[in-house]
Amino acid sequence: MRKIVLFAILWLSISCVNAGEIVVGVLGPMDVPEGYSQLKAVQLAAEEINAAGGILGNKIKVVYGDDKLKPDVGASEFRRLAEIEKAKVIIGGFSSGVMLATMEVMAETKTLFLADSSTPQASAKVAENYEKYKYWFRLQNNATTFAYDTEDMIRYLISKGYEVKKVYIIKDEHIWTEDVTKALYPILEKLGVQVVKDVKIPRGYSEFEKLIIEAEKLDADLIIPILALTGTDDVLVKQWATLKPKILLAGHTITAIDADFYERTNGAANYLIFSAHGGVVVTSPPTQMCKHFIEAYRSKYGKYPEAHQAYGAYDALYLYKTAVENAFKAGEKDPFDPEVVVKYLEMFNESNPIELTRKIAFTSNHDLAWGDKYVKNWVSQWQDGKQYILYPEKMATAELKLPPWFKEEKKTPGFELLLAMIAIVAVALRLRG
Amino acid sequence: MSAVASLVIYGAVIGGIWALVAAGFSLIFGVMRVLNFGHGAIFISAAYATVAFAAFGMHIAFVGSLLIGLAVGLIIYFLIKPVRKKEITAVIVTLAFALLVQHLLLLIFGNRGLTVQPVVDGLFEVFGAKFAAIRVVTLIAAILVLLALETVMRTSFGKQITAVSEDSDAAMLLGIDVERVYLLVILISSLLAAIAGYFYVQVFSVNPELGLKVLIYAFAIVILGGLGSIKGSVISSFILGYIIAATILFLSPRWSELVMLLAIVLTLIIRPYGIFGVKE
Repeated sequence: MRKIVLFAILWLSISCVNAGEIVVGVLGPMDVPEGYSQLKAVQLAAEEINAAGGILGNKIKVVYGDDKLKPDVGASEFRRLAEIEKAKVIIGGFSSGVMLATMEVMAETKTLFLADSSTPQASAKVAENYEKYKYWFRLQNNATTFAYDTEDMIRYLISKGYEVKKVYIIKDEHIWTEDVTKALYPILEKLGVQVVKDVKIPRGYSEFEKLIIEAEKLDADLIIPILALTGTDDVLVKQWATLKPKILLAGHTITAIDADFYERTNGAANYLIFSAHGGVVVTSPPTQMCKHFIEAYRSKYGKYPEAHQAYGAYDALYLYKTAVENAFKAGEKDPFDPEVVVKYLEMFNESNPIELTRKIAFTSNHDLAWGDKYVKNWVSQWQDGKQYILYPEKMATAELKLPPWFKEEKKTPGFELLLAMIAIVAVALRLRG
Repeated sequence: MSAVASLVIYGAVIGGIWALVAAGFSLIFGVMRVLNFGHGAIFISAAYATVAFAAFGMHIAFVGSLLIGLAVGLIIYFLIKPVRKKEITAVIVTLAFALLVQHLLLLIFGNRGLTVQPVVDGLFEVFGAKFAAIRVVTLIAAILVLLALETVMRTSFGKQITAVSEDSDAAMLLGIDVERVYLLVILISSLLAAIAGYFYVQVFSVNPELGLKVLIYAFAIVILGGLGSIKGSVISSFILGYIIAATILFLSPRWSELVMLLAIVLTLIIRPYGIFGVKE
């Protein structure tokens, strides 16, 4: 009898809470994979959750806003999702500049924001004014941790006998890369590594050849790309593979994480070392849920997640569901209230991570906890068309492979080719009369 | 010495590719008085065709890129034929077509950059400066194609082009098939853009946004050289190529486009009708 009464109370409670539909907003640049892969991941998660009964019986409706990588558009789209669409939670973002602008609207509308982007300035806002910005949680690593990843990468290379004394940095002309290098410089100094040059490049830049040759002239051992927004990391990789310098290319090339990067670069990505942002490469999913997500995504959309942001977005919806359900189980009156959900999200801390596609835990500033036990950007390498994790050892799926041209003597035709060129043009001029 | 050699080759390669695109753009304007804003679409379609056909070999890719370039050029010809006399309408029609092509390519190939292995691998070194050998091949190809264009302009057909560009009504009275000249001019321009696209994707990569970038560059170059002047377009392409290369080599990559645009603005303040344009 007691069980029946308890069941009835539970059922009635669910019925009271059940409003029929929960609106979830996705915000991102929808013309690029970093944005639309988040939307697709959230739609997939919503379908799965709805098929299993929704969140406390409420079906999820996904709406989205396109920020077009512009802060003002991002801010107005966030407001539309929060105020007009009545989204209970907004998932996404990508560019740090857009993130900082949308956080203000988030604070004003008191909307829960499970976000991407990597600028440390976002979590710094939570630290500075917790009450205002507490609705923000990041499911992507803070850019400062990219510097720690680079340290891991350099230490790993040294441990494998590859000397790293001088590095040449090529980075996006953007806020997030400034944050990375600010943290990276003291680390490099500690490691006794000299930065021979630190070059900023604008969006769409494609003349990497000169930079690679300059790195060679400056005796750099490593070219460290820190690229996400430039959109031309494929050109860097291609020109590196064409020039074949005896310098490793190892760093943060965001599109190198894409499963089709090798194919898109026509194999030029071979031997490229990269940080697996978001802690996943499709060939080595770190959790069972991640394995399921990768396959479900491929089955639904015909391809692997187009950008690593997809993992964070998929996790975000499951995380929200879990936090709301935990709040309900704990007897909260309104488990969907953002003030309440914040409390339950904060419970997933370093001592109590939740395993989704990655192991999610938040710091006190609502940053994603970084480390071997949580989410880390594994040191990875493209080898013969496949992505492998090199470090940490317990995750490693392959050993470091140096490009074969490191052992070869370079053959550089000089005057012969120049003379041939002059001869061809001369003949053409002669024929022209 | 190596810095000078670097500057010479890099500037020439960038200039050579843009010269092929801008010469075609200028030729169409000079003859038909149409600003073909679909010109970038020809370039980018040929570049994507190179990627698509590369699996069958770079020779097949070359033929494929030329055929696709010609096909896109032909579509543009038929699109602008009814509106040729209405300048603004022609601009809108060709621009709309360029955007349509961009979206189609986005749907087919996605928005990430795509590239191919260059037809010539390896390095080229002269005076201590190193380059990818494909750059040298691209430069030779650009020079040869531009020389071929100049040769065509000297033939009787070239004289017909000149006659039509000077006065199409008078040319018609002289018995020149003006419509045929228009068609061939578009096809020649398309070939130039397609060749540029074929080589560009071997040096760099292609993405759907590139079409508009190419259009903006070509337009800026043509304005700088003087609207309708092929010679002006070719020379200003090389000037801009050297400005970009010098900025990257001696200043910083981040300033390259800014310096180039500044140079264009300053030149146009001094010579509003372009370097080789004629004051109207």
